[in-house]
Amino acid sequence: MADLDTIELVKDIDVDKYKYGFETDIESDVAPKGLNEGTIRFISDKKGEPQWMLDWRLEAYQVWQNLTLPTWAKVSYPPIDFQDLHYYSAPKSSPAPKSLDEVDPKLLETYAKLGIPLKEQEILAGVRKQGEKSDLDGESGGEYASGKVAVDAVFDSVSVVTTFKDELKKHGVIFCSISEALREHPQLVKQYLGSVVPQGDNYYAALNAAVFSDGSFVYVPPGVRCPMELSTYFRMNAKNTGQFERTLIIADKGSYVSYLEGCTAPTRDESQLHAAVVELIALEDAEIKYSTVQNWYPGDAEGKGGIYNFVTKRGDCRGDRAKISWTQVETGSAITWKYPSCILRGDDSRGEFYSIAISNGRQQVDSGTKMIHLGKNSSSRIISKGIAAGRSDNTYRGLVSAHRKALNARNFTQCDSLLIGDKCGAHTVPYIESKTSTAQFEHEATTSKISDDQMFYCMSRGLSQEEAVALIVNGFVRDVLQHLPMEFMAETQKLIGISLEGSVG
Amino acid sequence: MLEIKNLHVKLEDEAREILKGLTLSVKPGEVHAIMGPNGSGKSTLSYVLSGREGYEVTEGSVTFKGEDLLAMEASQRAAKGVFLAFQYPIEIPGVATMQFLKVALNAQRKARGQKEMTAPEFMRHVKERAAKLNISQDMLKRPVNVGFSGGEKKRAEILQMAVLEPSLCVLDETDSGLDIDALRVVADGVNALRSPDRAMIVITHYQRLLDYIVPDKVHVLSDGKIVKTGGKELALELEANGYADFVGKAA
Amino acid sequence: MTSVVSQIPQIQLTDAEKALGISLPSRRLEEWKWTDLRRMITTAYGSQKVTAKDADVERLLKASPFSALHLKRIVFINGVHDADRSQVKVAVAKPSAALATDEIVALGSRLQATGVSLSLEGNADTPIEIIHVTTDGPARAQAVRHVVEVADGSSATIVETFVGEGDYLTTAVIDLTVGEGARLDHIKVEHEAPKATHLGHAIVSLAANSVLREFTLTSGSALNRQNGTYTFTGEGADAKVAGAYLLNGKQHADTRLVVDHAVPRCTSRELFKVVMDGNARGIFQGKVVVRPDAQKTDGKQSSHALLLSETAEFDAKPELEIYADDVVCGHGATSGDLNHDHMFYLKSRGIPESEAKSLLIAAFVGEAIETVEHEGIREALSNYAKGWLSRR
Repeated sequence: MADLDTIELVKDIDVDKYKYGFETDIESDVAPKGLNEGTIRFISDKKGEPQWMLDWRLEAYQVWQNLTLPTWAKVSYPPIDFQDLHYYSAPKSSPAPKSLDEVDPKLLETYAKLGIPLKEQEILAGVRKQGEKSDLDGESGGEYASGKVAVDAVFDSVSVVTTFKDELKKHGVIFCSISEALREHPQLVKQYLGSVVPQGDNYYAALNAAVFSDGSFVYVPPGVRCPMELSTYFRMNAKNTGQFERTLIIADKGSYVSYLEGCTAPTRDESQLHAAVVELIALEDAEIKYSTVQNWYPGDAEGKGGIYNFVTKRGDCRGDRAKISWTQVETGSAITWKYPSCILRGDDSRGEFYSIAISNGRQQVDSGTKMIHLGKNSSSRIISKGIAAGRSDNTYRGLVSAHRKALNARNFTQCDSLLIGDKCGAHTVPYIESKTSTAQFEHEATTSKISDDQMFYCMSRGLSQEEAVALIVNGFVRDVLQHLPMEFMAETQKLIGISLEGSVG
Repeated sequence: MLEIKNLHVKLEDEAREILKGLTLSVKPGEVHAIMGPNGSGKSTLSYVLSGREGYEVTEGSVTFKGEDLLAMEASQRAAKGVFLAFQYPIEIPGVATMQFLKVALNAQRKARGQKEMTAPEFMRHVKERAAKLNISQDMLKRPVNVGFSGGEKKRAEILQMAVLEPSLCVLDETDSGLDIDALRVVADGVNALRSPDRAMIVITHYQRLLDYIVPDKVHVLSDGKIVKTGGKELALELEANGYADFVGKAA
Repeated sequence: MTSVVSQIPQIQLTDAEKALGISLPSRRLEEWKWTDLRRMITTAYGSQKVTAKDADVERLLKASPFSALHLKRIVFINGVHDADRSQVKVAVAKPSAALATDEIVALGSRLQATGVSLSLEGNADTPIEIIHVTTDGPARAQAVRHVVEVADGSSATIVETFVGEGDYLTTAVIDLTVGEGARLDHIKVEHEAPKATHLGHAIVSLAANSVLREFTLTSGSALNRQNGTYTFTGEGADAKVAGAYLLNGKQHADTRLVVDHAVPRCTSRELFKVVMDGNARGIFQGKVVVRPDAQKTDGKQSSHALLLSETAEFDAKPELEIYADDVVCGHGATSGDLNHDHMFYLKSRGIPESEAKSLLIAAFVGEAIETVEHEGIREALSNYAKGWLSRR
C-alpha cells in the first residue's frame, strides 16, 4: 500500500541525507568557466550546429546582456555570479552512442541508483531487450497497454541515449535530443524553435537561448497517437555547472503525446543553476500532456546549497480545439521560479494546470501558471495545491487573462494552501484580467492547516503522527494526483512523503 | 387560443431535431395534459413556447390569440398572457419575491396599456393569493426561490401564476419532486385558476398529478411528435402499460 | 510602502508632475501596474485657491445622496473648511508622523492638506457627514486629511461625500482609530465631477474587540484610486469592508486594500461588487497579510465583477500572504456578464429586457449596499444605484 511505503521512507530519510546525493566518477569534457561569445561558439562548435543556430544563440546573448535580473518574485537569494559557472560539461564518450553497449557502464549504474522506474532500468541496464515482455507489465495500466516508456537520458548537458527510437520512428514520431534533431531535422527545429518563448522573453530565457546545451525534441505527425509515454531524466553531476536544457515538443494536427520530465541532482554545498526553457506547440485538434515530477536537491536544513530552478515553460494552443495540460509535482529545489503557461490561441482550445508544490526546510517556491485566452470559446482550469512546512515560503502566482476578442472564455481556478507548522508561509497572488464581458472567470482560494480534529481522528484509529500527516496530505492533493500518468503516481506519493519528513514538530 | 402547426425545432448548435412536426390545438377553458417518456421533447416544447434562447424553429408555426407567438420576445409573450411554470425554478439572489412580482405585474400591465397597480392594491392582490397557497409573508420577503425547498419553489411558481393571471399556463413537470401533501396544495392552486377564459397545458411524466388536475384531453408525446390523443382514460392506460406501445410509432 | 522622492535627476518630470511638485507613481511599481498615474494624469493641476459662488455651493450640497437625511454636516468647499455652513464644531487636524504613508499621503502633504480632527465619545444617534464640494474653476489640485478617533466603548457613523464640477484633482486621506470595544461605521461616496481625479486613502487602526463596518461607493470621477490600510492592533477585532463601483464611459477605478492581521483572533471580510459599462475599467487589489503569530485569524475576501458591455474591463489581484497556520483564510473572485438563466426567468414573467437588467444589476450591487447598517443611508445608496441604472 502506497501510504505504508511513504511512512517507511519518511522514517528513514531526512533532508540532510538526500537519497540521491552522490557523485559519479566519470571523465567529463568541460568548457572553461565564464560566459562570453567564446563560450557560445565553443558550445555550438562542439555540437556541430548549423550557422543559423549559432547566429540565433549570439543574438540571444546580445539581448541577455541588456536585460536586468527580475526581482519581483517573493524569493530571495544571494546574487548568482554568471561568470563563475561552467556552461558545458559532457561525459567523455563517443559523440552519438549507437547502442547501449557503447555507453559507459558507470553511467548506467548511476541510473539504476537513481531509482528510475523499473521498466526503464531493465532496458537501460540491458536486462531486457526492447520489445520483450517484462515481468512488471500489467502492474501499471494507464493508457499504454504496452507498458513501454521511451527514455531520453541526459547526463549533465548531454543526451546520452534515447530508447525506443526505432519503434517510434515506425509511427513517424521523432523523439531525440535537440542536438540530434538539429542534425537530422534542422528544418523542423528552425520552424518552431523560439516561436513560443522568443530569445528576449525574459532574463533566464535569454540566457538559455544563448547557452542551452541539450534537451528533448519531439515531433508527432498528423493524426498519430504517440504509442508510448515519452520521458526524459536529467541529472546534474559536474561541479559548478549550470543546466540549460531546452525542450521542444510539436504535436501536429489531431495528434496526441504524453511527456514526463523527471529530474534529480547530487548534493553539493554550492548552489547550482537550472534555467530551462520548454516550448510546446499543439496544432488543430492536437493534445499535449506534459508532466513533471521534480526532486532537485533542496538545500540542507540551513538553506545552503541546493538548486536554483528558474524555468520558462509555455504551451501554444495554436490550432482550434488544441489542448495542453501541465501537471507538476514540485518537491525539490532551493528556489523555484516557474510558471508553466498556456496561450489559448485557437478557438475552442483548452489549457489545464494541475500542481502540487511542497516546500520544506528553507525552500522558497514562487510558482504558478498563466492562462492567456485569445481565441473564442477557450477554456482553462487551474488546480493548485501548495503545502508549506518547516521554514519555507510557498507562493502561488497566477494570471488568467481574456483578450477583448476572447469571446466566451471560461476559467475555473482553485488554489488551496496547507500549512504545516507555524514557521512557514503560504501565499497566493492571482491576477485576473478580463477585457470581455462574455468571459466567465471563477477563482477560489483557501488556506488552512491540518486540523487538530483530523489528526486526532487518524491517531485514534492507530496512525502515528507522521502517518496521519502523510495520509491527510495525500488526500489534500488527490485532485491533482489523479492527473499524473499512472506509472508515476506511486513514485509521486513516495516523493511527497519524503519531502515532508521532519515537518511535524 | 393556441394553435401549434407542424412544429419542427432543433437546438441552435446541433443538427438533431427535437420536435419533429408537433401539432396541437388548445381552446380557452381547456386543460390539456402532455405525457411522454424522457427525451420526447416535453421541456423543449415549454421552452419554445415561452421564448427561451438556444432553440431554432425550422418549420411550422405557433399562433396565440391569433398572433404569431414565435415572432415575439419572451417578455412580450408574458404580457400577451403566456406563463411557464418551470420544472427547476431559478434562484435569484438579491431580488425579493414581493418586489419581483410587483415589477413583473406592472411591466405586463403597462405593456397591455393598463394602469399599474398601486402599492396597497398590489399588497392585497398578493396576500389573498399567497394565503391560499400557504405561502407566508416571510417567504415573500426572501429573494426569489433562495433557500426554498423543492415543494416551496413549486408553490411559489403557482403563486406567480395566481398573481400574474395569465391566459395560457404551461406547467412543466410541476409534480416532480413533490410528496402527496405538497402535490395537493399545488393542484388546488392550479384548479382554483381554472376558468372559461384560461387554458392550461400540464406536462407530466406521471399520471398521479392528473388525479387532481383532471384534464379534458391527454396527448402522448413521443420522439418529438404527438402520437396519440385521448380523454383522461388515456392517462390511466399509460400508467398501466407504460410508454412502450408508443415509442417507435413516431418514426 | 515607499515614500516618493521628488528629485530624481534622470527621470524627466511630466508637466503634470512639475505642476504638482512631485513625481507620480507609474506602472513600474507593482501596486500601480494597472493605474499608471504618471501616464494617466495629463492636466497640469495648479494650486490656486478658488472662491466659490454661493449658488454653486448650495446646488452641490443638495447633490449629496444624503441631503434629505439631515445628517450633522461638516462642510469643505474647494478643500477648505467652511465653519459657517457646518453644524459640528471641529478642531483642525494635525497629522501624526507615525501614521502610514504612501504615494497618496505624500501627494497630500505636498499639497498641504488640511482637515478636521474628531474625537468621538459616547454613542451618537445621528451620523456625521463630511461633505466636500468642489466648484467649477481653473484646473487645480486640492487635498484634505481628516483624523477621526472613536473612544473606547463608543460608537459613531461617519459619512464622507465628495461632489463637484469641473476639472480638478483631489487627494483625500482619512486616519481612523477605533478604540477598544468601539464601533465605527464609515461610508464614503465618491461622486466627483466626470473630469475629476480622486485619490483616496483610508488608514484604519483597530484596537481589541473593535468593530469596523465600511462601505465605499465609487462612481463619479474619471480616474479614481482608493487605498485602504487596515491594521489590527488588538485581538478580537472584526472588520467588514465593502464597496461597489458603478462605472460607465471611460471611467477608471482602482481599489487597493491591505488588511494586516498583526495580532491573533481577528476577523476580516472584504466584499466588492463592481459594475463596468461602456469602456470603463475596474480594478480590485486586495491583500490580506497574516503575521506569524496571528493564530485563529479568520479572513475572507471576495470581489465580483459584472461587465455590461463588450468594451468593459476588469482586473483583480486578490492576494494572501500567510505566515500563521491555525487560520482560516480564503478569497474568491468572479468576472462575467449577467446570468442568462436569470435574465430569461425575469423576461418570461413579462419584465422587458432593460428592466430585467436593471433589476439584476441592482440585486448585484445590493449585496454590498446591504452591509450598511443605517437604514436611511442604505436607502439613499440604493436610490443612487437606481438612478445610475436608469441613466445607463
